[in-house]
Amino acid sequence: MKSVLLATASVALLGMATLAHADTTIELQRFFGACDADYGTNTDVASAVGECGIITSLVNKFEADNPGIKVNVTTVEWPGYNQLNAQLASNAAPDVVSMHYTAISDYQSRGLLIPLDDLLASQGIKPDDFTDAARGGSTKEGKMFALPFDNWAMLFHVNLNLMKEAGLVKEDGTPILPSSVDEFFAQGKQFKEKTGKPYLVQVYANETAAYTRMFYTTMMQQKYDFFADPKKIDLSGPEAKAALEFMKKTHDDGLSSLGMDYTAAVSGFSSGKGGIAVNGTWLIGDYDAQSKEEGNALSGGYTVYPVPQFFAAKNATYVDGHGWVIPRGDRDDEKMAAIGKLFKFLKDNDFEWARTGHLPAVKSVFDMPEFKALPHRDNIAPISVIGQSLPPEVMRQFAIQDIIGEEVGAAVNGDKSIDDAIERIETRVNDLLGNI
Amino acid sequence: MAESYRRSSWSNALFILPYMSVFITLLVFPLFWGMWLSLNKTDLFGGAKFIGIKNYIRVFNDPVFAQAVWNTVVFVLVSVPTLVALGLFLALALNKTTKGSSFLRGLFFSSSVLSVTIVTLIWRFVFVPGDGLLYLIFTKMGWETINFLSTEGWSLFAVGVATVWWCLGLPMMLFLASLQQIPGDLYEAAALDNASRWRILTRITLPSIKSTILLVTVVQIVFQFQLFGQAQLMTNGGPSGTSRPIVMYIYETGFIRWDVGMGAAASEVLFLIILVAAMVQYWVTSNKEEA
Amino acid sequence: MAGKRKDTYSPEWLTANRWFFWIAAFLACVMAAPVLWVTALSFKDNALLMRGTEAVFSAPYTLKNYFDLLHSSLVFRWVLNSMVVAIGQTAGVLILASLAGYAFARLEFPFRKTIFVIVLFGLAVPEQAVIIARHQMFSWLQLHNTYWGLMLPGMSSAFGVFLMTQFFRAIPREIDEAALLDNTPRFRIFWKVLMPLTMPAQATLGIFTFLLAWNDYWWPLISATKKDMYTLTIGIASSQRNFAQSEGLGFLAAQAVFAALPAVIVYIFFQRHIVTAVSGGAVK
Repeated sequence: MKSVLLATASVALLGMATLAHADTTIELQRFFGACDADYGTNTDVASAVGECGIITSLVNKFEADNPGIKVNVTTVEWPGYNQLNAQLASNAAPDVVSMHYTAISDYQSRGLLIPLDDLLASQGIKPDDFTDAARGGSTKEGKMFALPFDNWAMLFHVNLNLMKEAGLVKEDGTPILPSSVDEFFAQGKQFKEKTGKPYLVQVYANETAAYTRMFYTTMMQQKYDFFADPKKIDLSGPEAKAALEFMKKTHDDGLSSLGMDYTAAVSGFSSGKGGIAVNGTWLIGDYDAQSKEEGNALSGGYTVYPVPQFFAAKNATYVDGHGWVIPRGDRDDEKMAAIGKLFKFLKDNDFEWARTGHLPAVKSVFDMPEFKALPHRDNIAPISVIGQSLPPEVMRQFAIQDIIGEEVGAAVNGDKSIDDAIERIETRVNDLLGNI
Repeated sequence: MAESYRRSSWSNALFILPYMSVFITLLVFPLFWGMWLSLNKTDLFGGAKFIGIKNYIRVFNDPVFAQAVWNTVVFVLVSVPTLVALGLFLALALNKTTKGSSFLRGLFFSSSVLSVTIVTLIWRFVFVPGDGLLYLIFTKMGWETINFLSTEGWSLFAVGVATVWWCLGLPMMLFLASLQQIPGDLYEAAALDNASRWRILTRITLPSIKSTILLVTVVQIVFQFQLFGQAQLMTNGGPSGTSRPIVMYIYETGFIRWDVGMGAAASEVLFLIILVAAMVQYWVTSNKEEA
Repeated sequence: MAGKRKDTYSPEWLTANRWFFWIAAFLACVMAAPVLWVTALSFKDNALLMRGTEAVFSAPYTLKNYFDLLHSSLVFRWVLNSMVVAIGQTAGVLILASLAGYAFARLEFPFRKTIFVIVLFGLAVPEQAVIIARHQMFSWLQLHNTYWGLMLPGMSSAFGVFLMTQFFRAIPREIDEAALLDNTPRFRIFWKVLMPLTMPAQATLGIFTFLLAWNDYWWPLISATKKDMYTLTIGIASSQRNFAQSEGLGFLAAQAVFAALPAVIVYIFFQRHIVTAVSGGAVK
């Protein structure tokens, strides 16, 4: 009798042991860097600073809140697509990957990502919860392929101290910014004459992205649909030429710093080499911190605005953003449920991510008092509405960005005529898109 | 036994068997596979479609490729002789057992230890306008400053300077190793004859290391035709593609544009170019040398 | 004539050499300055450097970058991986290339000349022409994320064979003859007599294969995709934020110094064999 009891007991225990199964592990792969030294075990998200710090702390907190789910994080060098492609090619892709909206169309069109509508719905997440700009970036062929995380754009970072010297600051302390092409050149000229420094600090060397983003923005502001057919770029309209002429005149009139690469432009603005830095949302935190210190070029005089509306047709600015995607693969229900929980957690904590300077993807964050209290966010909040991406079906957007950036850069710097540059862009991009 | 040493036999071939197995499986086989890929329209994810030589036609019709070939050829023509000459000079100067020489040899080698990321970081700081070292020197001397990294022509030069600085170690060490193998009695005989230093250099030293000069030249031709990292990181191939090397074109085509077939075609063309350049050099020199 | 200790150059050379020497010393400053500068950068705070690199010339200095580096959870694993791969690849190349170089230089076998030419052709093959095919091959063979997967491709390089062949050829045949008179088998001639005479070449090939493997980027990037199999190069790149050159310059410099150290140690270890106190000349 005893042995039967013992046997039954052990079988029951064994059964329970298998029920109390091993942890579910989510393989998460992302860029944003590694910062284990400072944030390796941090779960206090509110105290974290910077992209790396905040995302690491978020994942740590999620694990702490969800015993039974482990998140194995692999960091990759930005942007990580070479590695992801290699993994997809050998069927060894991770579970969750960080991806730019502009890259999604390539993977989605090859069936390499799974649509997320059902998973999101199971966690009570509706597409409507997200801003237009974020939703637009993540949706392809009517389905959502990424959990939107943020939007980012190029901004006008303003050195108020220099602007004051140039007489371009209003009574209330906000800067006078142009609202048309003519105003831009007039104000720029005034700035240059009064301060002897270039109006803009731009990235002109060793770079393609900055040129392309400005080119897109100025064409979007003219309401020019250069990708009316997503398989073909059309720059025949006068708007394209006007955009390039605008960019070139900025260079020729001496309204921009010259020859600076990204690093030089970032530190150049920090050390007061120009009035306005044309650079991304990710620098808000650093510049704001600098302005709070004494004795530097930005002390007490930093603010930031979206790229002004130079052309009357439409207030628009080119945006991209980060999202989380799930590569194709066999995953059991348990793992999918765990990923769903992770997505819900990330969505609920989008405010924390917004502290990096990127714009939130979740609409409700904009109404949070904590968000409004973040420095300068009310200035750039409109981008979540006016932010515009390329049409969702356009492929190889990174490659196109490189081609356009190279040719636009050549035109702006005078290495090529504007007409030649436009012709070369059309030829090269259409050859690329025509052969996919 | 002495004769069988020279008699041709298959058992002698056993010595090359280990290397040849690796060579065939990991070089020859993938090479032919790559050639097959170049005849297809494909990305990394399957679904290849045979299209014959269309990729090659596209490559040859692409002015960006032509520009890349030009850039790379110019680069090789300037950097290889520089590396060979400087390497030889340093080897001759530092072929001593003194502590000073030893220290200097280590110093000239030290740049080769660094990864390409940090090498380009270093040289960026020399060439960048505004704060760069050269900018400061030029302004101090009252010269008109040159924007090295964003001026057509100068950008390739800047890449070349960084490359020579980085790659000097190998030629120097190869020449050193070769100088060490020159038999001492040759010098003793020359000393007995009271030969001048110049005669010793040109009649004894240089001829003795002729095969090494050939080796270094061929190897550097092969390496420098594959220029990539320095150009990508310092100038991104610009401005306007004037410092884009062939490998960067291949990378952009295969990895960024996902056009693996066309990238494979371009890399086969590169292979051919390197082959011709290296083999021409080899045959020209070894025909003179073969006794 | 007995072989004797001899400097390659006789004393009269010294005077002319002085010019050589001082030019070389000047060039040395050109070499040293950047390396010193990077080392200095590694001791500065990232945020300060972001505002401008002149900051490097003034205090405060900090060890934080190295602290962060050493506390990165996987950095020692990455060093280990790089070590295993680099040492393994170097050993493999030295063995394969020496055996083959000896055979091409000294032995006769059918098609020797043709096979050598084919190997030379292999020298001209750029990595891009074979990397995708190799990746697919290794996917089938399940060799990704393994040490062998990282070591093997480098062993197919024809550079080593080409080098060793030239250096074996440079050894006077009289040395072989002497051994052959004793009816020594080929392998013994190779191992005991000729190999030691190619020490400078071995050391040079060894150092450079080690460096090539240590700094290799593309192949480890696409083959070692699991973070515990990253090599140091890939691991360091992965831990950098985008724009590391502006926002994390101090840390980047510290990583560079750290990554360079093992290679420097290997060089110091090998270089004794490159310029030896005993000239590599013939012993009769």
